[in-house]
Amino acid sequence: MNEMKNATGRSTVRAPQNLAGGLALMAVAGLALWLLGDLNAGSLSEMGSALMPRALAVGLGLMGLVLAVSAFLRPGLIIERTKLHGLVLVLLAIAFFAVTIRPFAIGPVTIPGLGLIISAPVAIVIAGLATPEARFRELVALALGLTPFCMLMFGDLLNLPIPVFPASLIDSFPEGWSQKAVLRIASAVMLAAAVLVFVTDRQKSVSDQGNQG
Amino acid sequence: MDTLISNLSLGFSVALGLQNLALAFLGCLVGTLIGVLPGVGPVATIAMLLPITFSLDPTGALIMLAGIYYGAQYGGSTTAILVNIPGEATSVVTAVDGHAMARRGRAGAALGIAALGSFFAGTVATIVIAAIGAPLTRVALLFGPTEYFALMIMGLVFAVVLAGGSLLKAVAMIMLGLLLSTVGTDLETGDQRMTFGQPFLWDGIDFAVLAMGVFGVSEILRNLGQSEDRDVVRGAIGRLLPNRKELRQSVAPVVRGTLLGSAFGILPGNGAILAPFASYAVEKKLAKDPSRFGKGAIEGVAGPEAANNAGAQTSFIPLLTLGIPANAVMALMVGAMTIHGIVPGPKVMTGNPSLFWGMIASMWIGNLMLLIINLPLVGLWVRLLKVPYRLLFPAILVFCCIGIYSINSQPIDVLLIGLFGFIGFLLIKFGFEPAPMLLGFVLGKLMEENLRRSLILSRGSLTTFVTEPISAGLLIVSLVLLVTALLPKIRKGRDEVFVE
Repeated sequence: MNEMKNATGRSTVRAPQNLAGGLALMAVAGLALWLLGDLNAGSLSEMGSALMPRALAVGLGLMGLVLAVSAFLRPGLIIERTKLHGLVLVLLAIAFFAVTIRPFAIGPVTIPGLGLIISAPVAIVIAGLATPEARFRELVALALGLTPFCMLMFGDLLNLPIPVFPASLIDSFPEGWSQKAVLRIASAVMLAAAVLVFVTDRQKSVSDQGNQG
Repeated sequence: MDTLISNLSLGFSVALGLQNLALAFLGCLVGTLIGVLPGVGPVATIAMLLPITFSLDPTGALIMLAGIYYGAQYGGSTTAILVNIPGEATSVVTAVDGHAMARRGRAGAALGIAALGSFFAGTVATIVIAAIGAPLTRVALLFGPTEYFALMIMGLVFAVVLAGGSLLKAVAMIMLGLLLSTVGTDLETGDQRMTFGQPFLWDGIDFAVLAMGVFGVSEILRNLGQSEDRDVVRGAIGRLLPNRKELRQSVAPVVRGTLLGSAFGILPGNGAILAPFASYAVEKKLAKDPSRFGKGAIEGVAGPEAANNAGAQTSFIPLLTLGIPANAVMALMVGAMTIHGIVPGPKVMTGNPSLFWGMIASMWIGNLMLLIINLPLVGLWVRLLKVPYRLLFPAILVFCCIGIYSINSQPIDVLLIGLFGFIGFLLIKFGFEPAPMLLGFVLGKLMEENLRRSLILSRGSLTTFVTEPISAGLLIVSLVLLVTALLPKIRKGRDEVFVE
């Protein structure tokens, strides 16, 4: 559970959390009002497209203002520190999966689609490194073990329209190979690799402990 | 009564079909499997598993989804009892005494009574839904846009009152959710609102994307900051069946919890969330020796678990009769129904009776299956819970990515769960609760549509909401609720309920 800490000292801002929250709400309200700028609000009997969002944005902005002002008057909580490292890696893992699962165009550049077989394990490893307790070999074993499971479950069993192999590789499959068969063989190979990494990792950690002891 | 029985038997004839039975079983199993993972509640579980129901027929898909829902719900309680990490708000209460029981070596009894209590509650709730579904549907047909709008206002007021912490922040979150729901093309005028000119925003923000970001990804981001001190129960789970004395102690709390849960669940605005808290408070008041609570009183598990499950189930009522989703889970159900071309609301029951009653009957079957699946599988869940979080969260993350990608085959959706995850994380940092925001988002489009229609009918006069009797009644109830929540004394009591 979160540890609640009150703001201490005689600083003028007595509730930093509320100040930040209030300012954030005002920023969102401002952005919304700006985006709604050229839309018509219409009248009550004939509501235009901007009426409700604009009213909500004004309301939100006012709430933010009250909250921000109250931060100077009433004591409250501080904002807890965050380790940026983990946050960035988790978001990076999601972004990596998003742009590589199938060909993705950013302006003139197109990132080639890598399919589940590459996007998933890499995303697992990137995300896994987010915690200080991460151990690389263990993560590799997890990535190699979980990916074939996902491939078999989503690609084979449920037939979801998710690319499994890199787009460029599919064309180079020899004729007569069914994609499902390749999928199953690839899964088996990855599972075997996962077991291998897992076992050697365990032996290594056992011998490490042995050396220490 | 006769129609009730004939309806239910129609339902059971649908739900007991071999395929639907298998789907209910599979749903319960997979739902429990994902729901057991710490930090994954029912909303994230359903959003993740939504795509696996796409290829099914509508009835089968909804039966499976309902199974996933109960499974996830039950999985959350298992986690709450065995590890002190409640998967979501409603199992917070279970964690208190359930985990204390587990520490004393009575984990098996806690799990057993949770399952038995839930089953009893589920049975009663199924009957409640079947009995009042039909009359409420007739009431719903009397509702015009004005009444719908007032009803949704009441739902939002409930959500504000029921949210823990500052009322101001809860109102702000509702407004933020409503504002987010207006992103996209306005259906009436065809204007693009707040889309930044981006085609992927033309249809608005997908609810599953928002929910997965806020309940799935931001939960991971939040857990990363905390050091891992998961205290999985070691040693024996003990006998799964509670002993005679424990059973006797639990009967009354289960019955009371079921009643409370059934009543709270019907309320719009996620009333179900309050049920376990209320049940716990009641049991503590009624107990001869209240000091046992918090140290492993079986009543503190039996009552809230029954309330939780009854509420979870009766919260289907607003959706099935009025077409208004009462919480985030129901909003996902709306999404699933829409994908299969079903518009939730009073017409489902008359237009598609085998789907309606089949789903209701499958709720009871789902509850029975949970009892059968979970008691023997507890060992498996314990082993799953012993997997350290450093290995669980990358897996959860990839499931989220695959799940959300499969819904629309849009990589941008995956990017958006990252964005909303980050936003959800910031909201929590700033002391906002994301749940009311989700509810605001869920109701936003419906509210705007009904507001617009009622104002057209009244020629632009806002007084229509107070001159129409039903709408006026609903608004008065909302006002009374809001005022009582603001009264200092009640406010203190409310805070106490949430602190407990």
